[in-house]
Amino acid sequence: MKQVLKLRNLKVVFPTGYGLIRAVEGVDLDIGDRECVALVGESGCGKTVTSQAVMRLLETPPAVIKVDSIEFDGREIKDCTPKEMQEIRGKEMAMIFQDAMTSLNPVMTVGNQIDEMYMRHQGDSKKEAREKTVRALELIGLPEPRARANSFPHQLSGGMRQRVLLAMAFACMPKLIIADEPTTALDVTIQAQVLKTLRGMQQGCGTSLLLVTHDLSVVASIADTVYVMYSGKIVEKAPVKELFTAPYHPYTVGLMAAVPRLDDEKRKFTQIPGTVPHPARKPSGCYFHPRCQYAAEKCRKEMPPLRSLDGNREVRCHYPLTAGGESHE
Amino acid sequence: MSEILELKNVSVHFPVKGGLPFFSRGMIQAVSDVSLTIKHGETFGVVGESGCGKTTLANAMIGMVKPTAGQVLFKGVDLNGLPRDEFKKMRRQMQMIFQDPYSSLNPRFNVYQIVSEPMFIRGEDSEEEMKARVVELLELVGLSAEDLYRHPSDFSGGQRQRIGIARAISLNPSFLVCDEPVSALDVSIHAQILNLLVELQERLNLTYVFISHNLADVKKMCDRMAVMYLGKIMESGDSDKIFRQPLHPYTQALLAAVLDTSFDERRDQIVLQGDIPSPINPPAGCRFWQRCPKAMEGCKTVPPELIEVEEDHFAACHLVNGFPDVELPAGCDEPVDKEDVQV
Repeated sequence: MKQVLKLRNLKVVFPTGYGLIRAVEGVDLDIGDRECVALVGESGCGKTVTSQAVMRLLETPPAVIKVDSIEFDGREIKDCTPKEMQEIRGKEMAMIFQDAMTSLNPVMTVGNQIDEMYMRHQGDSKKEAREKTVRALELIGLPEPRARANSFPHQLSGGMRQRVLLAMAFACMPKLIIADEPTTALDVTIQAQVLKTLRGMQQGCGTSLLLVTHDLSVVASIADTVYVMYSGKIVEKAPVKELFTAPYHPYTVGLMAAVPRLDDEKRKFTQIPGTVPHPARKPSGCYFHPRCQYAAEKCRKEMPPLRSLDGNREVRCHYPLTAGGESHE
Repeated sequence: MSEILELKNVSVHFPVKGGLPFFSRGMIQAVSDVSLTIKHGETFGVVGESGCGKTTLANAMIGMVKPTAGQVLFKGVDLNGLPRDEFKKMRRQMQMIFQDPYSSLNPRFNVYQIVSEPMFIRGEDSEEEMKARVVELLELVGLSAEDLYRHPSDFSGGQRQRIGIARAISLNPSFLVCDEPVSALDVSIHAQILNLLVELQERLNLTYVFISHNLADVKKMCDRMAVMYLGKIMESGDSDKIFRQPLHPYTQALLAAVLDTSFDERRDQIVLQGDIPSPINPPAGCRFWQRCPKAMEGCKTVPPELIEVEEDHFAACHLVNGFPDVELPAGCDEPVDKEDVQV
């Protein structure tokens, strides 16, 4: 399969007054053509920092980035100048943010904001751009697109604003779209609408998607491959169905058990004890061992490597679990 | 089981100000004509999308907003008829847990000050008594005496929510409103807080109103529940019955919209079109008709009543209950042509 993104050994560090915050520690990421890859984790695990580093959106300083390679669509972009990055961003790589209200300009009509994409990246005239904008809004399922293009963001509902962001991201048919928690701020019924549109557009346009989220049910409904992150490291990588039917890492197991389901028993919530370690005070050995019920002596001393299992899966655990919850070794 | 709280035809309307001074441009009908009863010792769930009036309803339940019409009876006493000092005494029995543990705790107070504030305001305890009580409360919610003089910024989201819970139960309330208590927290912390709530309920014999937009949480927590849409109750009653057989098309759509991790292909996806209409001018007739996949012509004009379909299972839908026996225009049970409806 053709690779759209190949990220190798990404490290991001924030030096602060109370110590080094190692936000991302050696992350590898592969996104294939037309693939939807999900990056899952709790807040503070480094998933957003990873996605922003790929877009080269992190300010340096404060961030210190070390990376072996960011290969995007066959070219190395880790040493691109800011100007070159501006050409790539929006045109070949686009981003959808979580909060549509704050990522749209409140004093510009949404039509003008999307027009900018075409004018900037495709050199269209204002008139041509507006035609394309209306078509994009129509495609994304906004009722009365021509009238809506003249609305300001505050005149639209949350779901419509998120659709406008989708239209903007897909405007130039980019190779890769990074969606950072695209549906977290939305209601369930609107979330279903937006996810359906996102998946439809992604398949229709042949775009690859990197979905950054904490919501496993969103992952289950649209992703192909899943990376689970914990405290700055990838702990598990697997195709979506295999991950959900047989998770190997105890953290993934806990995370899945913590998602309440409609068919669960009453009044019993499965919990992972403890909390995510503070990024400046990470534990020794495996970062998850203080919360892991299977932790052994080796886990306290040694960080396990990310190793391959069953061909297409990877897991960072000394004693990965099998489907029955038993240890492999 | 006896009733602890009863709402009788409660409406809460807020004027929309703007334009000329002293003139309002309309009313936001946040809650319209809601009647329900909450029994002693149960967990009552309120579900709905944002803007449907869940929080306003909760505020009306504990007297934080005055209803425009209707009565709120707590243990048989009308809250809004009480003189102020009587009301304050009553309010001690009803407390609230807030959604956002980051903004609901004063960042300049330490844990002792936060948790003891309700007792301090009551003014019946000495310093030593309060301190002993706070330590007891902290241990009850899974914190320790060492945390007494730390500030909210030293704690994680889950721990902050525990502090908020300790504060809420400090005056031994019997009725607790939990307004989205876990939606601001991480998934792995979710379960910890919900387990704590269940445990406290058993130990302290509490009645909960559990507000949430997460149906799975509601299903697991609640004995009875109400589904709200645009300020009205669409369906209410025993939660097991509602989940087993949702009658209202809105409840059905909400349930279908819950994404699952089980890869069950059989579930049909009902994706609702459009957004919640504005509560300033809610649609006449059924409030849901514009988005309802099964809307009929009559739904546009005739508002449905909340009618008991089976024991402790109410629904407000013409599809379930049929149209009332009044004069109706012809063809009221024809399906609505969705092409004409712009939502």
